[in-house]
Amino acid sequence: MSRIITALSRHLGEAVFSLLPSIPYAQKEKIGCPGIAVSAKQLSAAARLDGPVAFHNATFEIPCGCRTALIGPNGSGKSTLLRVLAGLTPLLSGEAQVAGEPPRLGRSRIAYLAQRPHLAELFPLKLRRLVQMGTYAHHGWLEECQHGDEAIDLALTRLGLTELAERPVHTLSGGQLQRALIARAVVQGAEVLLLDEPYAALDQPSREIIDRFLFEQGHAFTVVMATHDPADLGRFDRILEMREGTVITRHACSGHDHRHA
Amino acid sequence: MLELLTQPLAEPFFVRALVAIALCGATCACLGAYVVLRRMAFVSTALTHSILPGVISALLLGFSPYLGALAAALLTAAGAAWLAARRGTSEDSAVGVMLSVMFAAGVALMQQANSWRDFAGLLFGSVVSVGGEDLLVIGVTAAIVLLGLRVLHKELELASFDEEYAALLGARPALMRVVLLVLVALGSVACVRLVGALLTTALFVIPAATGLLLGRTVPQVMAWGAGCALAGGIGGLYLSYYLPAVPSGAGIVLCCALPYLAARIFAPRC
Repeated sequence: MSRIITALSRHLGEAVFSLLPSIPYAQKEKIGCPGIAVSAKQLSAAARLDGPVAFHNATFEIPCGCRTALIGPNGSGKSTLLRVLAGLTPLLSGEAQVAGEPPRLGRSRIAYLAQRPHLAELFPLKLRRLVQMGTYAHHGWLEECQHGDEAIDLALTRLGLTELAERPVHTLSGGQLQRALIARAVVQGAEVLLLDEPYAALDQPSREIIDRFLFEQGHAFTVVMATHDPADLGRFDRILEMREGTVITRHACSGHDHRHA
Repeated sequence: MLELLTQPLAEPFFVRALVAIALCGATCACLGAYVVLRRMAFVSTALTHSILPGVISALLLGFSPYLGALAAALLTAAGAAWLAARRGTSEDSAVGVMLSVMFAAGVALMQQANSWRDFAGLLFGSVVSVGGEDLLVIGVTAAIVLLGLRVLHKELELASFDEEYAALLGARPALMRVVLLVLVALGSVACVRLVGALLTTALFVIPAATGLLLGRTVPQVMAWGAGCALAGGIGGLYLSYYLPAVPSGAGIVLCCALPYLAARIFAPRC
């Protein structure tokens, strides 16, 4: 019964979608990283519109391919800064460029992973479908999404999720889910990964897989990662410290561009 | 035994009611998947209950009860959204305010029209009331809702599962919420003849809850839910036919609860 309805719905759907034009979610982006992945001039922002200012006068640059750690005590504005760069929180003042354009919603070249993603509980969704959501960025409204199989398989393999592809999302562990969300960002085609404490409460295997993915495989990503772990910092090319309401660049990387290494 | 099943089919009103419940059941079950997953059951209750003043004022003023019902449901949705946008009122209480105010207005209008008995069918559904024109309205509404769900499937799924990611991609989760509310309003309007203003919300919630126990993807949940609504709907109509004291809405809801109970007991846990 359910199979007949699904097949019927698929055929009907294909007929309907072939008649409709596809409309992108947002305006197209310029292609090509300008050498600087993230540049910020005199930024100030607040976590909530009517709340206190989280940081001010933040000025820094992050070259393409640079792995950057964002450190600072709780409440110093790390999460707000990442949300500003993702386009989720508006700037109060200053100027920011991420992958060549000011941050806004609807950018496929930026991916943001919240510390605690708000996902609907017990949602009937398989892991593969979750990862496939990354491809929506390239298709837009009124288009069926049966695309991107190769990219999805590759991302699943890289993050060690191939075996789990058919598992319902609500049965995954925290680490498996975190890896799935990174795989989704890869499928999305993101060049700048904004990660808010991705290692918080992760099991060791997931941590190792994510580590290998971000630091050893030489991918074409610029990573900005909020982190609390001081033992971690040696692996980063650049460290931004949030202190006394602003951002201090502690250790600049040589400008070595990993993407062409 | 077989006669018990075939005898009602000789009555044209019963066949019309069967077609109507098949369309309404499938529509509400598919919409219900999102209603349940997004925890919108209370909003859907408010929309279905608010139909009452809409229909009665339409009858008093002499225009189509469907237009009145739709206007009242949309007014409730807009009112709740407007109240919740102000500081100090949570969405839950905004919906609660709109629900009770609209329903009270309906009761007041009913007194004005001076007869409770005429409106029993409106509250609890009536199997004899579905005419050819109603069937047309139900068919068109079902087509609009199902087409909308199909065409926006991936966006609705995305916005329901991970609202922030939908916003990041530019897939307008706030707009999707409005679309869903309008579709729920349309669905409740289509059901009001058969199931009644008080019980329509059950048709959104019970089949979808059954589907959630059995399906592992959103389309599977919808398909199982539609099956449950169909079985419950047909069972309920027969119940109401043989026991005229049972309004069709009550029969349908009671019969929908059986597959839910069965699924609750026998569904594999994963």
